[in-house]
Amino acid sequence: MLGQVKVENLSKTYLTRQRQGLFKSQKKSVEALKNISLEIYPGEIFGLLGPNGAGKTTLIKCLTTLLLPSGGAAWINGYRLTEQDNLIRASVGCMLMGERGLYWKLTGRENLLFFGALYHLERAESRRRTDEIIERLNLAPLADRTVETYSSGQKMKLAFAKALINDAPLLILDEPTNTLDLPSARELRAVVRELNQAGKTIIYTTHIMAEAETLCERVAIIDRGEVLALGTVAELKASLGREEVIHIEGVISAETSQVVQTLPGVSQAVRATADGRTQLTVVGQNQRLLLPRLIETLSAHQAVIQKIVSEEVTLEDVFIARTGRTLADDTRVE
Amino acid sequence: MISLSLRRNISAALAETWLRLLSVSRYPGELFIELIVPTVLASMPILLGQAAAGPDAAVNFAAKTGTTNYVAYLLIGSNVFTLVTRAFWDIAYWLRFEQEIGTLEAVCLTPTSRLTLASGVAIYSAIRGLLTTSLAYVLGCLVFWVNPFQGDVLLALAFIGVGLTPLYGLAFLFGALILKVKETNALIGLMQWLVSFLMGIFFPVAVLPPLVRAVALAFPPTWMVNGVRSALLGVGFFFETWYLDLAMLGVFLLFVPLFTREVFRRVEYGLRRNQGVGEF
Repeated sequence: MLGQVKVENLSKTYLTRQRQGLFKSQKKSVEALKNISLEIYPGEIFGLLGPNGAGKTTLIKCLTTLLLPSGGAAWINGYRLTEQDNLIRASVGCMLMGERGLYWKLTGRENLLFFGALYHLERAESRRRTDEIIERLNLAPLADRTVETYSSGQKMKLAFAKALINDAPLLILDEPTNTLDLPSARELRAVVRELNQAGKTIIYTTHIMAEAETLCERVAIIDRGEVLALGTVAELKASLGREEVIHIEGVISAETSQVVQTLPGVSQAVRATADGRTQLTVVGQNQRLLLPRLIETLSAHQAVIQKIVSEEVTLEDVFIARTGRTLADDTRVE
Repeated sequence: MISLSLRRNISAALAETWLRLLSVSRYPGELFIELIVPTVLASMPILLGQAAAGPDAAVNFAAKTGTTNYVAYLLIGSNVFTLVTRAFWDIAYWLRFEQEIGTLEAVCLTPTSRLTLASGVAIYSAIRGLLTTSLAYVLGCLVFWVNPFQGDVLLALAFIGVGLTPLYGLAFLFGALILKVKETNALIGLMQWLVSFLMGIFFPVAVLPPLVRAVALAFPPTWMVNGVRSALLGVGFFFETWYLDLAMLGVFLLFVPLFTREVFRRVEYGLRRNQGVGEF
């Protein structure tokens, strides 16, 4: 089925060489993926989260046919991996190696037209798609300059544009906001959302948990070649069984705090007064739903809100709980 | 609807040709150098010969090579050698260069096969090589004041035309070796010395030791350069008739690409089984 990915017990082992001084080296086997199983549904944004060296890119390279898996099976857009590789390649748009996948002596437009031809688009269709993508990503000022004159962020943007050229039902984006400044990263994420709303399935790898939280419907956390956790962001956070704490400072009456206590999702609402200021501490689950409800309730009861501080369970907390390490740790094994 | 037709494969190959032509047009210095290198290369033995030649030089040269026109003999050798090394640089080095800059992985993500892309690169190499070699040959003849169009020019072009496909097949085979071994400079350096020696760019292969001569005759460019010399200067075909020598090149044309295709497929499979084409 278009836009669907199914992975069953996928494994990948490769040989690498450890250098030991002058002319000496030793071969070493590296198990990059260990029996990965997951399913990505059509039309969702699926996040692959994990530190550097976790196996995210290796998994992506297996799914996009760049690597042959050592074991297991996978189906991408209904095509079986290793048996229908050409059809898989034709039906997937990829942004894998960032700016390294571009021809620097060609212009942005020439790069897009070239890859359009490699994706077997008719010339007229390729030109139309190129013009459309250039306009959508605001690349018009750069499009007719050679890529070697682009900044790092502009090259990443063009690499993203290249992933869109074949209008594939499945998009695979490997750390697409790497080296982008904040406005450009925000713009790219907005385009990703638009593409998803238009029906595309998106696999999005990142080591920035905030990105995964805001963009992805479901997330798989990968470490050392294994899927440690898989589910929606809320499910993963809830899996820790921790509640979230919101501190609200302002002018809040005792009666109002009692009303807050009765709100769904609130397990505790404790009011304290100090130096003429009131602080209401609310303990509950799913801050994203709870906070708007709190603000609405406090406003309806004429409370004055001066400050809100929240302590929230993050995906990094989930990762730390599962592995004992942070996302910043590099787990690549050479 | 995904369409992977032959027509679209041809279109993809031609897109690769166009990409190469666009890229080289942004390096005009490279094209200029190609126009003068064959003449500079040939000029050293030509001038050495002129300096060291005795009264019987032409007769002695003709006894070994079949022609007294040693200037044209050497110019033909150096120009065909440039065409041959151009093929190795354009195709073998192309693979490794793309691997290092990251675009090899990018093209491997598309449904266009590497062999289709190699065909596109081969077309580009043929266009560039034939154009610059022809101009360089005429330039060299002008410098040394010999007639570039003596003999059967069409037959000479036929030998080059038929010889190009097995030549590109060999170059692609070499490229597969470079991808596997990952040592570009050493292999290409070795290749250039070996090619110049086996082809006999400045001497007839008849003077090579028997075993080396046998290896040289298994090498398509040797038949190409001898075919061009025989057509233009009458030095003598290996099988004494032009059609038999051309048929031999035709045999190479049939078998070398098939052999190369199989080797490249296995090398690529081996790379994908390990760390992939992107690992350099």
